[in-house]
Amino acid sequence: MMRKTKLFMDTVVDIQVVVTNHPRNKAAAAIDRAFEVFRKVEQACSRFSQDSEVMQATRQIQTAVKISPFLFEPLRFALEVAEVTDGMLDPTIGKVMEDHGFNQHYLTGETFHSPVSESASYQDIILDDERRTLFINKPLVIDLGAVAKGFAIDLAAHELKDFEGFIVNAGGDLFAGGLDGQGRKWKIGIQHPMHKDQVIQTIELSNEAVCTSGSYERKSPLRADVHHLINPNTKCSSNEWTSCSVISRYAFMADAFSTAAFLLPIDRGEALLSNVNLMGILIDRDLKVYRVGGDLI
Amino acid sequence: MAKMDKKWVILCSTAIGAIYAAGYFSTETQAALQNPVSYNHGSLETGRSQIKSNYKNGTFYGTGSNRRGLIQVAVTLKNDKITDVEISDFGMHYSEKDVVDLPQEVIQLQSAQVKNVSGATYSTQAFKDAVQNALAQALNS
Repeated sequence: MMRKTKLFMDTVVDIQVVVTNHPRNKAAAAIDRAFEVFRKVEQACSRFSQDSEVMQATRQIQTAVKISPFLFEPLRFALEVAEVTDGMLDPTIGKVMEDHGFNQHYLTGETFHSPVSESASYQDIILDDERRTLFINKPLVIDLGAVAKGFAIDLAAHELKDFEGFIVNAGGDLFAGGLDGQGRKWKIGIQHPMHKDQVIQTIELSNEAVCTSGSYERKSPLRADVHHLINPNTKCSSNEWTSCSVISRYAFMADAFSTAAFLLPIDRGEALLSNVNLMGILIDRDLKVYRVGGDLI
Repeated sequence: MAKMDKKWVILCSTAIGAIYAAGYFSTETQAALQNPVSYNHGSLETGRSQIKSNYKNGTFYGTGSNRRGLIQVAVTLKNDKITDVEISDFGMHYSEKDVVDLPQEVIQLQSAQVKNVSGATYSTQAFKDAVQNALAQALNS
C-alpha cells in the first residue's frame, strides 16, 4: 500500500493505492497527478483566494467571461442541483458564509469581506454552454463548497483507475476504487456524530463514492449555534439531521446530494434521494439511522 | 446497487470528459508541476515594489500536535508562496502494523479498525500549528 496525505481545500486529502502488481514509481507518479487535480480544482473554485479563477471572473459584472472547465463544470453542476432543490442548495451563498465567519484562508490566514449584497440567487448566474462563459447579473460570491471537492475526488479517481485498488479520501468524503489489498470490497465506516473515535455504521464499497454532510464539524467562529450548512432562505443552519451520507458512482453527486439532503426538510430530502436513485444513510438528532434507497448490506 | 438517474450520471461523466477532452489536463499538468501557481501569503503581499522575499524557497518541516498525538508537515515554499503541504507524519492514523498486531477480538471491538471513514468534512485546524512552525523555519532573517 502506498499512501500520501496533503492539505487541499481546507481539508486533509489522503490517497492510498494498492501497489502489489505495480512498480512503486508508477504509483507515486499517479498519486502526484491525483493531488495535482485537487490543486487545479482549488485554484479554479476557491472563494478564499482573491486570485482564484472564480474570484477573478466574478469581479466582472454583466460581462460574459470565458472560464476553464475546472470552474465551468462544478458551477454547471451546482446550478443543476440548485434547480432541483428549488434553491435550497444555492452557490451564491458565499457572501452569507463570509458573514458567518467562514471567510479565512486555511493556509495564509487571510480573511475576506467581499463588498457585495446578500440578495443574489443562483438565477443571477448564467452559463453559456457553447462559449463556455460565465455571466453574473450582480455582484455576488460563489461558493462551490458542495460540489468542488466531489468533482476533484472523481478526477483524482480517474487518474488512479489503472490500479486494482485505491482510496481518495478528502476529509471524510471518499471514492473507493477496485478492491482492498486483500481483494475484498473496501470497508468504510460512517462516523458517529457524537463520538469522534467511533463509527455508527459500516458499508462496503467498490468503485463507489460516499460523501457525508454533518453538523458536527465546522462551527461558525462567530456563533456557536451556526455550522457551515446554511439554508439560503433563513440564513440559518439546518438542524433536522446530524449526518447525511450519500453513496453514488460519482463523488460529484454524492457530495452535492448529501449536502442537499441535509438542508432539505426530512421528507423532501428522502424524496430527492429516491428520485435521483441514490442510496443514503441519514442520522437524526436522536441518532436514529434511516436508510434510503438501494439495498445496503 | 440501485440504478441512478440518467441525467445526473451524464452530467458527471460529461464534466469529467470536459477536463480530459483534447488533453486539457494532461498537457497542462507537466507545466503546472514545474511551476505551480499558488496562494499568496496574505500578509506578505508585496504590491508593486519588489522587496526582499520573506521566506526561503524549499521544503521545511514543522511539527504540531492534535488530540491523537504529534503530527509533522512538510511545507514547500516558492517565491513566498505555499505550493504544497504534505502531512509527513500523521498521528491520527493507525498504521496497518498497529492493527495487524492486535488480537482479533480487540479489532472487532474497536471501530477505529475501520481505517477509512466517511464523516462531515473536518477542517485543517489541527494542522495550523504545524504549518506555522514550518513557516517559522523558512523565515529569512
